[in-house]
Amino acid sequence: MVQNHHRGCHHQDHQEIVRENKEKRPKFFINDHVDILIEILKRLDCRSLCVAASVCRLWCTIARNDSLWENLCFRHVSPPPSSLRSVVLALGGYKRLYMGCVRPVQSRLGRVRRASWARDEVQLSLSLFCVDYYERLGGGSSSNGRLVGESSPSSLMFLCKPVNV
Amino acid sequence: MKRNHREISGTTDYSCGSGSRADSSSIGNCIKEKLWEEDHDAGGMDELLAVLGYKVRSSDMADVAQKLEMLEMVMGIAQEDGISHLSSDTVHYNPSDLSGWVQSMLTELNGPPTPNLDPVLVNSDPTSSNPQHQKQNQSRVFNDDSEYDLRAIPGVAAYPPSNSEPDSESTRKRVKTSMSSSGSDGYGSDSFFPSPQENGIPGAVTEFSTRPVVLIDSQETGVRLVHTLMASAEAVQQDNLKLADALVKHIGLLAASQTGAMRKVATYFAEALARRIYRIFPQDSLDPSYTDILLMHFYETCPYLKFAHFTANQAILEAFATANRVHVIDFGLKQGMQWPALMQALALRPGGPPAFRLTGIGPPHPGNTDALQQVGWKLAQLAETIGIEFEFRGFVVNSLADMEAEMLEIRPLEVEVVAVNSVFELHRLLARPGWLDKVVSSIKAMKPKILTVVEQEANHNGPIFLDRFTEALHFYSSLFDSLEGSGVTPSSQDLAMSELYLGRQICNVVACEGMDRVERHEPLTQWRTRMETAGFSPVHLGSNAYKQANMLLALFAGGDGYRVEENNGCLTLGWHTRPLIATSAWRLGTTESGL
Repeated sequence: MVQNHHRGCHHQDHQEIVRENKEKRPKFFINDHVDILIEILKRLDCRSLCVAASVCRLWCTIARNDSLWENLCFRHVSPPPSSLRSVVLALGGYKRLYMGCVRPVQSRLGRVRRASWARDEVQLSLSLFCVDYYERLGGGSSSNGRLVGESSPSSLMFLCKPVNV
Repeated sequence: MKRNHREISGTTDYSCGSGSRADSSSIGNCIKEKLWEEDHDAGGMDELLAVLGYKVRSSDMADVAQKLEMLEMVMGIAQEDGISHLSSDTVHYNPSDLSGWVQSMLTELNGPPTPNLDPVLVNSDPTSSNPQHQKQNQSRVFNDDSEYDLRAIPGVAAYPPSNSEPDSESTRKRVKTSMSSSGSDGYGSDSFFPSPQENGIPGAVTEFSTRPVVLIDSQETGVRLVHTLMASAEAVQQDNLKLADALVKHIGLLAASQTGAMRKVATYFAEALARRIYRIFPQDSLDPSYTDILLMHFYETCPYLKFAHFTANQAILEAFATANRVHVIDFGLKQGMQWPALMQALALRPGGPPAFRLTGIGPPHPGNTDALQQVGWKLAQLAETIGIEFEFRGFVVNSLADMEAEMLEIRPLEVEVVAVNSVFELHRLLARPGWLDKVVSSIKAMKPKILTVVEQEANHNGPIFLDRFTEALHFYSSLFDSLEGSGVTPSSQDLAMSELYLGRQICNVVACEGMDRVERHEPLTQWRTRMETAGFSPVHLGSNAYKQANMLLALFAGGDGYRVEENNGCLTLGWHTRPLIATSAWRLGTTESGL
């Protein structure tokens, strides 16, 4: 009964193969597909992105990537001019821009916001961001203007204070 | 009554018989108005009051008036204190005898008649100065509504909302009739027994009559505080320095009972008045780096300077729309806080950034620190970061009038487009005649495409000290109110420094004269006239600037209090209903063909 034997062998092989396949074929693990991960994280809002940054080291590294924050800044606005990126990066990066300026601006103006304001909000944020960078420059060079022991100035201070919106 | 209307209609809108007041008050006013005009009814009964059914001898009018006023004061307070039933239940004996009636009311309200009250208030003995003084007091009362109407001071700090109408009504009409008394040492409401001088201060009467305890009601005290300030200023105006000094000391006491903005304003004004009286003039030539520090704190705590910068920048940006090389001349560079935002906007301009050249003008700093160069260096760093071609030059001059256009090396129009920017600098030039004209002709020689001017919206340059004082009181009250009420609670040091910055301005407006008084603010309308006669024509600031300004203010907590308004193409930023600073833009009226 060679046939039976063969069939038994096949069956055994088949089962083995199935078992091997199960072992060989891993579950889908998102960390292996970083490009997909990035695409997903790109679409998150600020809070979720920050939460995502606490998941694991890989996610943390990705979440800190400035291009994600760039996306966040300009989500509701038509694509920015190409020259903008170099400027923003030089001034401190998109994450800083978002956290320091864009987010407070958007949250505070939310109550009076109109759709057309989105672009202007970003412009205003950029201006404030630039002023902030300029003030941060002041630490070394123009120390004559500062009293000893005084905390460094920040004209974005008014954005940091909690506001009853 | 018609005679009265015509006479006083020019000076005040507080016309006789304005309906909402109590009857006695309108009669009281009419009586005082009668005192104004030459008393044609010599002897006999006053004919106008006779029409109403009151028999009052004209010679008694002053007496009756004062008694009525006292009565009203007492009644007003009495209502608060819950003995209002007295005022309504009193039986009127022979109402046609007005004087006697008032006296009976007074005695009933005040208990046993105190001999002090009457003689003091009728302190208007027939001395030569008194009728005139009384008239002037009356005039102050008349002008009350238009100039001293404290309800016009927006916000809560200067004039807390009063619950009882009659109370506020009576307090406003409290006239210090015994101001001619010599500067006393018996001041202070810590004595319970009214000395003759003390009774001159309203409220001391009621303190004595209603309770044996000193009442300090802060609403009343607030109004009293302002009145005392005004009285002190008026005494200074009349060169009655002893009296002014005594009043200033009293201000300190009253201010202690206040909180917040009103207290600070009163303290600064009192100090400024004291300096004026004792001729201890503040040094204006303080270290400019110190004033720069104060300015920085002011910049950070409130939106006024940011508003100024952003709106001026918007105008400059629009003027530079197509230029390849631009040159900005800043009349007061200070820390250069205005320019990063402009440079960023130029860097992101569609079509690429122009070459940016900045000329900064500033005062000399002691100690050879080249402050202007340091600012220029910082700006150069920023320019390199964001990719703009940058050139900087600093000019140190004692005043703008020392500057000549040739010094600035203006390049021809085809090469470079020029903008001139002045934030709170032009008003200083009014201190000396001819300076402003010199600077204006320098500006014209620079052939700018646009001139941006930001100035305070206030009239602190009138010829009469008292007017300046009143205006300044209103202006700085609003300003301090906005610092307090904006909801942003900066660290106390920042707030204190900002207030100090403003306090120095107050000191200059009130205490200094002549060439030292540099804070000669003038309202927008006056600047407009000056600019237009000088040959400039206005450039409207446009909706972009308006939108940006509104957004900027919405970011500040208390954004509801700040108000951006458009005024014939200029933008003003104010606190509630009071505009405080104004931005305007100008261009040369003639064509720029080099003629």
